[in-house]
Amino acid sequence: MSRMAAARAWARRYAALVRNAWLVDLQYRAAIALWLLWGVSEPAIALGIWWTIAGDGQVAGYARADFARYFFAVMLINQLTIAWDSWYLDRWIREGELNFRLARPLDPVHEAVADNIAYKTRTAGMILVVWLAVALVWPAVRLPVEPGRWALTGLAVLCAAAMRFFISFTTGLLAFWTTRATAIMELHAGVSLFLAGRIAPLALLPPAVAGVAGVLWFRYMLAFPVDLLTGAVHGADQLLRGFAGQVVWLACWFGAYRLAWTRGLRRYGAVGG
Amino acid sequence: MASAITAEQLSKTFHVKVRDPGLSGALRALVRPRYRDVQAVRGVTFRIEPGEIVAFLGPNGAGKTTTLKMLAGLLYPSSGRVQVAGFEPWSGGSDFKRRIALVLGNRQQLVWDLPPEETFQLNRAIYDIAEADYTDRVAELVALLALGDVLDKPVRQLSLGERMKCELAAALLHRPPILFLDEPTLGLDVTAQEAIRRFLTEYRDRHGATVLLTSHYMQDVTALASRVLIINRGRLLYDGALDALVARIARTKRLELVLGDGVTAETLAAFGEVRSFRFPNAVLEVPREDAAATSARLLAAVPVADLSIEDPPIEDVIRQAFAEGAAEDDR
Repeated sequence: MSRMAAARAWARRYAALVRNAWLVDLQYRAAIALWLLWGVSEPAIALGIWWTIAGDGQVAGYARADFARYFFAVMLINQLTIAWDSWYLDRWIREGELNFRLARPLDPVHEAVADNIAYKTRTAGMILVVWLAVALVWPAVRLPVEPGRWALTGLAVLCAAAMRFFISFTTGLLAFWTTRATAIMELHAGVSLFLAGRIAPLALLPPAVAGVAGVLWFRYMLAFPVDLLTGAVHGADQLLRGFAGQVVWLACWFGAYRLAWTRGLRRYGAVGG
Repeated sequence: MASAITAEQLSKTFHVKVRDPGLSGALRALVRPRYRDVQAVRGVTFRIEPGEIVAFLGPNGAGKTTTLKMLAGLLYPSSGRVQVAGFEPWSGGSDFKRRIALVLGNRQQLVWDLPPEETFQLNRAIYDIAEADYTDRVAELVALLALGDVLDKPVRQLSLGERMKCELAAALLHRPPILFLDEPTLGLDVTAQEAIRRFLTEYRDRHGATVLLTSHYMQDVTALASRVLIINRGRLLYDGALDALVARIARTKRLELVLGDGVTAETLAAFGEVRSFRFPNAVLEVPREDAAATSARLLAAVPVADLSIEDPPIEDVIRQAFAEGAAEDDR
């Protein structure tokens, strides 16, 4: 098969997978509404708290309008980067749903990637509409139209989404060894509430804690792209360090995924499903 | 011509964690886990030629599904050699997977919330099936499986039989030459079972596919398979034609009688073992080699309206084969 034909075949496969994921979503409209509510409410509550605390002054350089922009950006970027794959993987492995997936000529990771594309375009699309509607009446949440900033944010979101995907997928693969894979993912989600900047900008955390978030992967999975979008990343040095952190941790998690997949399959092959 | 499936001295040992019951057992397992080796498949050797339909028989936990999964490349054998369609299954990659279909009766690939046609479309993209081929194959499968009015209903609204038919259709769209079917008729009613059997035979005849299936239903075996593999406790006990197995295992024949007036069970008991007696019908079991002579004596001595000589039910034969294999194993 020529390279072009192979690329076309892959495009058809992804189109079919994304289409199926959307069709399944459409069967569960109430669930979509609830997820959307969840996606909006967490940052909205955090914003409400910081809004009250900031009053007419500032907290660590953040005034009310800064908090508003920050949490609207969190709302959007969290939906664009979040991954639920550990829950699916856990079920596939424990309930034998991996079997037919392993018997067909498509690595199951592609189905998971396609599911992510479907989910993210759908949910983030709706949140973008909500944001635009709010921005019409509330100038505080408007962002300047700077193509450079949006392009860099797009790149950072892509890296963060890929990293969070591999974190979730790899954690799900732990189901090859333990029945507690989803509990580990819950723990990770709990830690990321603080360290990824979901309930407060990292600048507000004690320096030691913010330092840990910057050394580990947490900052790069959400806070960095949010800061990029809201204009809180200053200078080439901060920019490069942010992207370097993303690339390094993405590579690490990709490596962890490959390792868990090959070892896990071997184990699955050894103990059965 | 090369064999479609070859297994040589195929073995699989699982390393499983063992745990005593209760909370103390759970705690002990946490602190000092204990493991036990379970030999699921032991030195199994067989060959299946292209176009054969072979039934894999054995009680639960005999090693049928484990063997099937090794042949489909899902499990690594602990030892031995396997070749399927010219490939070593677990290293055959996409080229191998395009040549097989694996249908597990209790696990479905159909997307639960969508009509089966959506899964067909997905498989069309995954297996890279050309539009014209896809249309032809769907038409053929719809006709063979009588799927006309179910393709656009969500899978969750289909009956078990309809779902299994669609499951088969989805698995065969890429027209694989080798089919592994694990309990394809499990839980289906008699009509649906027959439809699946008819389809499998027809599909094999049209496309020369090789089929290896496991089943608990003897009707599947007698209707479909020219050959059976009997496995118990991981060991292959028998490989051959079903009637040859009956001749080897069944030491008796059944004389099915419709009796004339005045014949009692006591009268019949002089000729063999009375298995059932509900006048005027009776079933008498006699040693295999004496069947003809006993029938002649019986016809001469008592009034008989009808007599037929039958093999014992195949279920009994298979049960006896398992029992003999187990006894041999224990020795």
